[in-house]
Amino acid sequence: MPRIVKFSLIIIAVYCLLKIPGVFFTRPIPASVLSVYLLFAVVATLLAMTATGEGATGFIEPIASLFADPSKRAARNIVLVIVPIAAAWIAYAALRPDDAPPPIVRSIHPAPPAAFTAYGRTIELASLTNPYRASEKENPSQFRAAVDEGAEIYFKNCFYCHGAKLDGAGHYARGLSPSPVPFRGTDTIAQLQESYVFWRVAKGGPGLPREGGPWLSAMPAWEDALTEDEAWKVVTFIYDYTGNRPRSWAK
Amino acid sequence: MGKVKDIIRIFPALLLLLIAPLSHAGTDAGKETYLKRCAGCHGKDGTGNGPAARFLNPAPRDLTAGVFKWKTTPFDEPMPSGDDLYAVIAGHNAGPGWSGLGNTAMPGWSDTLSKGEIRDVAAYLKKLGGLDAPRKPSISASAGPSATAAAIETGKRLFKDRCAECHGAQGRGNGAKRLKDDWGGRTWPRDLTKSWTFRRGGGREAVYATMTVGIPGTQMPSFADPKSKKMLTNGERWAVAGYAASIDEPAKTPGTDTVVRAARTDGVLPSTPADAAWAKTAYASFFLTPQIIAGDRLYAPALDAISIKAVYNEKDIAFLVEWDDRTEGIPRDAKSMEIAGGEVEPDSVALEFPAEPPRDGDAQLPCFGMGDSLGQVNIWQWKNAVLEPLRLIDANGPRNMRERDAVASGLSANGVYDNGAWRVVFKRPLRTATPEIQFEEGRFIPIAFAAWDGSNGEKGSKHVMTPWFWLRLEPPADRTAYVWPIVAGILAFAAEWAWLVKRP
Ligand code: HEC
Ligand code: HEC
Ligand code: HEC
Repeated sequence: MPRIVKFSLIIIAVYCLLKIPGVFFTRPIPASVLSVYLLFAVVATLLAMTATGEGATGFIEPIASLFADPSKRAARNIVLVIVPIAAAWIAYAALRPDDAPPPIVRSIHPAPPAAFTAYGRTIELASLTNPYRASEKENPSQFRAAVDEGAEIYFKNCFYCHGAKLDGAGHYARGLSPSPVPFRGTDTIAQLQESYVFWRVAKGGPGLPREGGPWLSAMPAWEDALTEDEAWKVVTFIYDYTGNRPRSWAK
Repeated sequence: MGKVKDIIRIFPALLLLLIAPLSHAGTDAGKETYLKRCAGCHGKDGTGNGPAARFLNPAPRDLTAGVFKWKTTPFDEPMPSGDDLYAVIAGHNAGPGWSGLGNTAMPGWSDTLSKGEIRDVAAYLKKLGGLDAPRKPSISASAGPSATAAAIETGKRLFKDRCAECHGAQGRGNGAKRLKDDWGGRTWPRDLTKSWTFRRGGGREAVYATMTVGIPGTQMPSFADPKSKKMLTNGERWAVAGYAASIDEPAKTPGTDTVVRAARTDGVLPSTPADAAWAKTAYASFFLTPQIIAGDRLYAPALDAISIKAVYNEKDIAFLVEWDDRTEGIPRDAKSMEIAGGEVEPDSVALEFPAEPPRDGDAQLPCFGMGDSLGQVNIWQWKNAVLEPLRLIDANGPRNMRERDAVASGLSANGVYDNGAWRVVFKRPLRTATPEIQFEEGRFIPIAFAAWDGSNGEKGSKHVMTPWFWLRLEPPADRTAYVWPIVAGILAFAAEWAWLVKRP
């Protein structure tokens, strides 16, 4: 195998190795670190392969022949053109002024407070439970009635943003940033306790802690517009419609 | 142990899944899907009276009445084809950021319901509306004659005659008429420069189909009806469709822009909307969303998008703010009041900036809705009013506003209404002596917008708005950005030459 091919294969193998953590685990190696490792790999392999005089010529030979051998003129001209263009492009990319707006860093599910005030009292999250949850098994008809009322509340107050499909894509959602949260799927309310969801409904965007970016959220604070009972019914509805289960304390 | 419990919990669900297909068939299954997915808007009985209905315009359809607006069967055939029903439920005309009928609340369901479920629900709708199969085939809206310049010219002439009374001379939907649909709802002729709002989707073929079929239940007639004085021949319809498609303004489609990029100029800044200098910069366009967050809310807005351009020189910055509004609301004007159907408030627009923009990305901003107790915003509000057209407001939330002298800050504004579009120019020095937003080259500055359509009863907290976007005063092009790449290219070539070509 020509040395230059061997060299390329080694570098590609190292690159793949470095990429593994990003593909199979959630944490990729940062791009800057990756390029440093790759540089080391290139230098080390080059040194090892050209350490002997014979090795060095074996390495240079194919390149040199490209320029010595008249029958390889076309390939030579292509290399002559492509290398400078690549160099210019790399320099351009490195120097290009960064004109993307600064990223807005915002935690989607920030840690809730231990207690909050709503409906004229202090509510402890740890002891807050959905009054309709027990009826799901004990009194199904009462539970269905609560879900039906929740649906009605949802289609009067929430669907513009969170969507008639509970997909976070209501007809006004496209004009909001951050987007309204979808309730279907497994990464929003399915990960949350009902007390957390109740807190979000009651206190809305303005009730978010600083890391949640309260100044960006269009989520209204519903404590002014819905009664406590109505808020629980709509929470019960969004779980029932999507088939999601609230996360429970026992874990 | 947990595993066993989980399996026990899942078991009834599995059982249900197994039984479900057996017990469901045709319209029964359709009814179940309908009650779960559609009743919130169209009502349990299908009459269009779901809990959401009173917040929507256009209203959810009364599906028992058998009137369909987006069908492809001819004007004298009231029944939609099976494909029409399927398509409107599945959602085929996705606009930017929307899967269903453009600019309505009717979603597309193909991501939620299977093909079979959509067919079942369509079968249920046929039962609900007492629909028969159509006796006439759907019209064909493909392979029309090509839209030559001459055809578009003919189309333009016919448009003035047949369409302008409702759609306005330039097609912005600003006809001088108050229109109602058969169900008593207020309808607005479509703004034909915004094909992204079309229910049938944009393009010549879709417009041709709409003109040929008409829009049942509304005042938009079919132009293929030989009994109508306004009838157009097939060729004429294609010509008008060609013209209507040619006035589309795709450059002003909202949905992708996030930054208003102000261009640097060395000359004087344009101070009127008509100034030719504006042509050199590009629009940034944003969706306008009604204020449905707090206080007095607006549910059925009449404005849907806003487009902005900005330029600056070493002293001042100027903004051109454009938005289509079908009505120039002139308070106390008889004609304006007739179109509005009541009192008319002045039309208005506002720009909002944080008084102190954050130094880095994750620093706290004031609330986009008029600031909050911790963060102050500056609001520049222009109104279509003779007295006090321009107001400069410092706000820390909607209940904490203080007005300030706009002249002292050097702020000026002037607006012009023309054929269904407002164009307002704001101008201010980059730097002022007062503590308020200062414009610095190269920096990303948060900016937000609000607008009021006075003929739609919008005033105070009833208005449309945007969240925070960015404004950037683009530094003049940096030549060194090109010098170094060229140098690198030359060096690489020289190295190749010296090392390889000239090698002994
Ligand atoms: C004006 C649009 C709007 C309306 C109306 C609205 N929401 Fe929201 N909602 C949002 C936005 C935007 C977010 C995401 C930002 C945030 O987390 O605050 C959100 C977030 C939420 C969350 C947090 C979910 C999570 O995974 O953290 C819940 C729960 C919620 N909304 C419930 C509701 C309910 C229930 C209603 C009706 C009573 C409602 N929303 C009405 C815009 C809206
Ligand atoms: C969020 C509210 C909403 C939901 C949910 C909804 N629709 Fe609609 N639907 C509308 C609105 C609004 C219109 C009227 C659009 C118009 O007039 O252009 C409409 C119109 C229709 C039409 C008439 C189309 C035509 O050609 O005139 C049909 C059929 C329809 N919907 C079926 C359904 C079905 C089936 C479902 C459930 C799978 C459903 N809708 C769910 C709001 C909704
Ligand atoms: C009498 C008033 C009237 C006249 C005349 C009229 N229109 Fe319309 N047009 C309307 C109304 C109202 C609507 C909106 C209906 C709705 O969606 O509720 C509309 C909607 C449309 C649409 C939007 C279709 C879609 O997919 O959303 C197009 C395109 C259109 N008209 C083209 C035309 C053309 C071309 C002409 C002239 C040949 C014309 N109209 C004449 C009233 C009119």
